[in-house]
Amino acid sequence: MAPDYKHVRVRDYLRGLVAHELTVGDTIPSERELCERFGVSRMTVRQAIDALVNEGLLHREQGRGTFVAPARTDMELRLVGFGDDMRRRGMTPSTELLDAETVEAPWDVAESLELDPGAAVHHVQRLGWADGRPMALEETWIPASRFPDLLDGAPDGFPESLYAAFRDHGHDPDWGEDTVAASDASAHEAELLRLGTARTVLRIARRTFAGQVACAFSRSCYRADRYTLWVPLTAPNPVVTPRPQPLVTTTPGSTGTTQEVRR
Amino acid sequence: MTPTYDDQANRILRALGGVDNIVEIEPCTTRLRSEVKDPGAVDQPALRAAGAHGVVVSGRVVQIVIGPSVDVLASELEDLM
Repeated sequence: MAPDYKHVRVRDYLRGLVAHELTVGDTIPSERELCERFGVSRMTVRQAIDALVNEGLLHREQGRGTFVAPARTDMELRLVGFGDDMRRRGMTPSTELLDAETVEAPWDVAESLELDPGAAVHHVQRLGWADGRPMALEETWIPASRFPDLLDGAPDGFPESLYAAFRDHGHDPDWGEDTVAASDASAHEAELLRLGTARTVLRIARRTFAGQVACAFSRSCYRADRYTLWVPLTAPNPVVTPRPQPLVTTTPGSTGTTQEVRR
Repeated sequence: MTPTYDDQANRILRALGGVDNIVEIEPCTTRLRSEVKDPGAVDQPALRAAGAHGVVVSGRVVQIVIGPSVDVLASELEDLM
């Protein structure tokens, strides 16, 4: 007999409720109701609920119950800063400057910014908030030679948007690359992001360019329970291959194909 | 200064080990993804000098970070091959 994953049926039922009948902040049916409806043990029901809490779909408050969590708005990644990204997702952002100082570029940062190792870079650490809750911890390095006065007003006069500051300096960011990976937050990150038991974060490393000029390199970690990426997919571009050269010589008995002959 | 596309295409092709070393080349939004016969024939510093913002080699696949101008570069390469 095939194994009967009873908790999966309960979980999928709850997922359907969240999608179609309940709204953010609603309580889900009690454990007792779910036990009766599916004829399963309380342990099975808890297993189903735990899975959805870990996924971020449900939110459990000790002594109060289990509620439908705020939806994560997925969004195509664009070359915008944290504030604009949150606004595009329908959330209200704010940024807390944790640290800003000019340092010698570490080896990997220098490489990403196309600087000599040890060149002066501004190192900025910020905590990004969305709708009054921590969303992302962001560490950014900026070439000091290109933006010498960037930290002059810090902390109070530090620009709300780095991209706007780059534009003010004549470098309009127009392309970049993100590298995305998932892992657990460190204890320090978990504390700043106010993570509970779910510790998974999305780590995004970004290089920001204005034309041929590398403007910034950043490493961010986003709460995986609040942030989802949407990646549009298209078929691969046509590939370019070397043109086969016309066959010049044939050996007796050869099939006469040109496959291996290249200019 | 950034080399002109034509010149850049020549230099990149040479740094990849020439036409003879190319299996295929595909433009990918900000990168040129190329499959080569012999990764040992690829000259990474020369790719950098030709304006690449990064080079990632994995097996016989060489990815060259170019930026949005990669489409133009790819059509120049096609003409050279």
